Amino acid sequence: MKNLLQQIRRIFQKKEEETIPFKLLFNNFKKSLELNNQILDLIADANDKLSGDYIFDQQYIRNCCRYLADMMRELVVIVNHLTSQKYLGLFVSFHRIEEEIEVILDSGILLPETDLVLPYSVINRDLFDAVGGKNGHIAEIGSLLDLNIPAGFAITTAAFALFWKHNDLKTTVAEYMHKWEKETISTSEAAESIKQAIINSEVPKDLVLAIQKAADLTTGTHAETEKCFAVRSSALGEDEIASFAGQYLSRLNVPVENICNSYKEVVASLYNPGAMEYRKGKDYRDAEVVMSVACQLMIPAKVSGVMYTYDPNQPENETLLISSAWGLGAPIVSGEIPTDYFVLDRSPPHKAQEVDIVHKEQRMILVGCSGTEMAPVMKGQRNRPSLQDDQLKELAGIGLKLEQHFKKPQDIEFAVDNEGRMTILQSRPLTLQQKQAPRACDLNDLDSKYTILLRGKGGAAVEGIAAGPVWLYNGQRDLDDFPLGSILVARYASPQLARVIHKAAGFITDIGSTTGHLATVAREFRVPALFNLEDASKTLIDGQTITLDTECLTIYEGLVKELHYFGLQEEPIEGLYEYRLLRRILKKIEPLNLVDPTDQNFRPKYCQTYHDLTRFIHEKAVETIIHLNYYHTHHKDTQAGQLIWDYPLDLVLIDVGGGIEGAHEKGIQPEQIISVPMQSLIRGMSYPGMWDMAPANVDFSSFMSSLTRTAETGHSSPEDIGRNLAVISAEYTNINFRLGYHFTVIDAYISENVLDNHIYFRFSGGVTETTRRARRTRLLFEILSHYDFFCELHGDIIVARLKRMDKKNMLDRLFLLGLLVGFTRQLDVKMVNDDRIRTYFEQIKSIMEDNHGNKQDQYSYTR
Amino acid sequence: METNKTSILILDDEPIVSKRLKPSLEKKGYEVETFTHSADALARVNERRFDIVVTDLKMEGVDGMQILTEVKEKYPDTEVIVITGFATMATAKESFNKGVFDFLAKPFKLGEIAEVIAKAENKIKNNQ
Repeated sequence: MKNLLQQIRRIFQKKEEETIPFKLLFNNFKKSLELNNQILDLIADANDKLSGDYIFDQQYIRNCCRYLADMMRELVVIVNHLTSQKYLGLFVSFHRIEEEIEVILDSGILLPETDLVLPYSVINRDLFDAVGGKNGHIAEIGSLLDLNIPAGFAITTAAFALFWKHNDLKTTVAEYMHKWEKETISTSEAAESIKQAIINSEVPKDLVLAIQKAADLTTGTHAETEKCFAVRSSALGEDEIASFAGQYLSRLNVPVENICNSYKEVVASLYNPGAMEYRKGKDYRDAEVVMSVACQLMIPAKVSGVMYTYDPNQPENETLLISSAWGLGAPIVSGEIPTDYFVLDRSPPHKAQEVDIVHKEQRMILVGCSGTEMAPVMKGQRNRPSLQDDQLKELAGIGLKLEQHFKKPQDIEFAVDNEGRMTILQSRPLTLQQKQAPRACDLNDLDSKYTILLRGKGGAAVEGIAAGPVWLYNGQRDLDDFPLGSILVARYASPQLARVIHKAAGFITDIGSTTGHLATVAREFRVPALFNLEDASKTLIDGQTITLDTECLTIYEGLVKELHYFGLQEEPIEGLYEYRLLRRILKKIEPLNLVDPTDQNFRPKYCQTYHDLTRFIHEKAVETIIHLNYYHTHHKDTQAGQLIWDYPLDLVLIDVGGGIEGAHEKGIQPEQIISVPMQSLIRGMSYPGMWDMAPANVDFSSFMSSLTRTAETGHSSPEDIGRNLAVISAEYTNINFRLGYHFTVIDAYISENVLDNHIYFRFSGGVTETTRRARRTRLLFEILSHYDFFCELHGDIIVARLKRMDKKNMLDRLFLLGLLVGFTRQLDVKMVNDDRIRTYFEQIKSIMEDNHGNKQDQYSYTR
Repeated sequence: METNKTSILILDDEPIVSKRLKPSLEKKGYEVETFTHSADALARVNERRFDIVVTDLKMEGVDGMQILTEVKEKYPDTEVIVITGFATMATAKESFNKGVFDFLAKPFKLGEIAEVIAKAENKIKNNQ
C-alpha cells in the first residue's frame, strides 16, 4: 500500500502546484479506504476465532481491541479532514463504543440496556445477557422448537442493575465478599449477611410498575385463580453449564402482588453458600454475578415429571429416563414423593425397556393463589400409571428434539395439564456420571478399532464430535424431510442448509468457507461442521452411520462410542471465559445496523458498532469526493463528469491526470476515456449481454436500486446520495460501486513497469436472500482464483488481489472484473440453484477466451 | 506414571491455553502436564524429563526464555516450542540460538500446534 501511495504521489507530482488540494483530498480518501479494509479484515479474523478451532487468550482479545480502536480513531480523524470537520459526531460515537468495549474487557460483561422486563415472545439469543440462561432457553424452546412453554416474562439484568444501584448493593456486597475472601468471616456468615441486605432492599418503583404491567399482560384473560406465577432464577451462565444447576431458588404459585418480594428472595439466592463456593472455583468474574428472574404463569399440572435424555450412569445403554407423578413437579424434583419410572429406548419407536408403576398417595396442588400444599391422590388413581404410552412417546420425541437443539444430554422438567397438553418448564444440560467416563487420553487407539472413512482433509468450521446417519443432500431433496439427529452431507456449504440447524447433528461439505454464513450459524448453535473435504459427498453413503471428529479432521464408519460419550461430556466452549468475552465484545464491533444511506437514522449518533462507523465513513468519503469535484467548482487540474452510456450505472468520473480527453460539458462519452485500466473495465462492463436490461422483478427492487441509476431523483441536490465514483488517471483507476449495503471497490495501477502493477478488488453485499448471494460469492471466488487472483473470503465478502503481472495480462483481468461487475448485478437474481455456478463459470471463461483474441465489442477502440 | 507415550509439558500463564491444549493432545496419545506458573513448571522439570516443552514467552517471574535455557541445559534432547503473542525478530533470534525447536504465534489453530508437536516428536524418534 505504501508503494501505491508513492505511485499516486508520482502521478500528481507533474502538476504539483495546482494539484495540492486534490492530492491531499485524494490521499486522505485512499487512506480511509485502506483503514476501512483493514478494520473489516480484522473484524472478520476475530470472528473466526469463535469457531473453536483456535486457541486464543485474553491478551489476543485486548490487542485486537486496541488495534481496532487505533485504526477507528485514525479513520474518524481522516474522514473529518476530508469533510472539513463535518462529522465530529463520529468522535462521540467512537468514544462511546470504545468505552463500552473497555468495560467489557475490564469486567467481562456490559449489561445490555434493555427494558426492565421482556416478554418471552421477544427474547432471542442476542438477549441472553439480558435474560439469563433459563429465560433464554425456555423462550427459544417456545419460538424455535415450537413446543409449549408457560406464558411468562423475564425480569432482565438491566432491572437487576437498577435494583442494585438503587440500594447501593455493590458496596455492601463487596464489603462482605472482601471479608469472606480474607477469611475473616465464614461462607455461611457472608452468605447470610448479603442475602439479608438484599431482602431488606427496596424494589425501585419503575421496576414494580414494569413487573405489574408485564404480569397483567401475561395473565390477560385467565381466571382469577389462575393468575399466579412461578418466580425462578435465571442467572447468567446458569443452565448453560451443567454443574450450575440447582444452585438457586424458585418460588411457586406467587400472586402478582407478591412477585416483587419473591424477586428479592430469588436474587438473594445468588449468594447461597453453595453458589458462592461454586463460582470461586470457576471462571466467573464479579461482574458476571448477575441475575435475571423468570416469571412464568403456573400450570395447574395434572401430571408432572422429569426426563433425562440419557441414563447418566450408563449412557451406553442408549436409553431415556422418565419419572412422573400426579400433581405439581416440586416434590418430584426434590425426591419427596415416590414416582413412576420409565426407561425407554432413545431411538424410535422408543420401546419401553422398564416400567415401574408405584403407589402414589400424595400430590402437590396449588392452593388458590397463595402457595402449594400436599393433598391425597384420589383412590382410583393411586396405582395407575401417571403417563400413558402415547404421552411417553411424545415426551421421548421432545427430549431428543431438545437435546439436538442444545447439543448436550438434557435434564427436562415437564407438566401435563387437565387437557393432556404437554408443557416444557425447563431444559438444562445433564451431567453424565459415568464411573468409567472416557477421557481424552483413552481416545488415541481408535484407529485400530474403527474404520476411517476420511481423514486429514478439509477444515473445521465448528469444532466438535457428532454421530449419526448420513443424509446426502443433492439439491433435489426436500430439506423439510431432514431426519432429526442426522449428519447432513452436501456438495456446497450453502446457507440454505441452515434451515436444518435444529435437527442436524453435524455438517459435512465438499466445498465451503469456514467463515461463511452456514459456518456462522452452525457456530451459533454448536453444530460440528467440517467443510472442504473435496469428495465427501461421493465417499459417504446415504443412511450409513458415521462418527465425525472435526478437530481431528476424521470421519469414522459406525458409532464410535468412546468419542461419542466423550463429546457428550465435554464442557461447552461457552464455559471458557475468553469465548464469552470475545463474543460479547464482537457484539459491539461486528453487527451492521446502519445500512441504508437514505434512512434518516444514517447519522453518526446512530452508529452502534465499529462496523456501523466504517460503513458511514465510507459512504461520506465517496460522497465528499463526488461532491467537491463534480457538483462544485472543480479543481483546476481535475476534470469530472458523468459517464454517458446505455447501461444502468450512474458513474461519476474524476480525472486527476491523463484519464480523459476532449471537452465534456454534457458528460463523458466512453470513447473519451483514455485511462488504460478504466478502458479495460469499461470494455468488460459493456460487454454485450452482461447487463440485463429487462425490467427488474419487483421482489428485487431494493436490490436493483442499489446499482442502478439515481438520475431519476434528479441532479438538483448536491447532497444527492447513492452515486458511484471512479477516480482515474492515465495509469490508475479507483472505483467505489454500491451494491446492496456495501461498496464494491476496485483499485488498479497498470503500467509497463511490472513491479508497480496491482489490482485490488473487494466485493460484498447484495440484498437478495443469502443462498443466492452465497452462490454468487462462490462463483466469483472460483472465477477469480482461476484467473490468478489471490482470494480471501470473509463471510460473503471477497477480497481479491493481483500483483506484478505484465500489462497485457493485468488489463485482461480488469476486463474480467468489468464483466463481473456487470454480470453479478443480475447474478443474485439468477442463481437459483447450484448448477448455475458451473454454467456461468463456463460462460465467463469462453468470453475471456474470445477477449484474448481481442474480439471487438461496441466500446472497444484502438488507440 | 511410566508409559512409552511422548510426554509434553505445557506452560502458559493464561489458563485457557492449557485447558484447550491438554484434552486435544491427550486425545492424540500424548501424556500431558500443564502449568500456569513458571516456578511450578520449573520445579517439575527438575523432578523429571519431558520429551517436549511448550512454553509461553512473556510471563510473571521466570519467563519463557529462562525456561528454554534451563530445560535445554538440563535435557539437551528435550524439544522446546515457544508460543507467544509478541514475536519479535530479536526474541526469535535469541530463542533459536538457545536451541528452540519452533516458534508459534498466538493465536494458533489446534491443528497447527499439533503439527509442530508431531514434527518435534519425529525429530526425537529419529535421534534415538
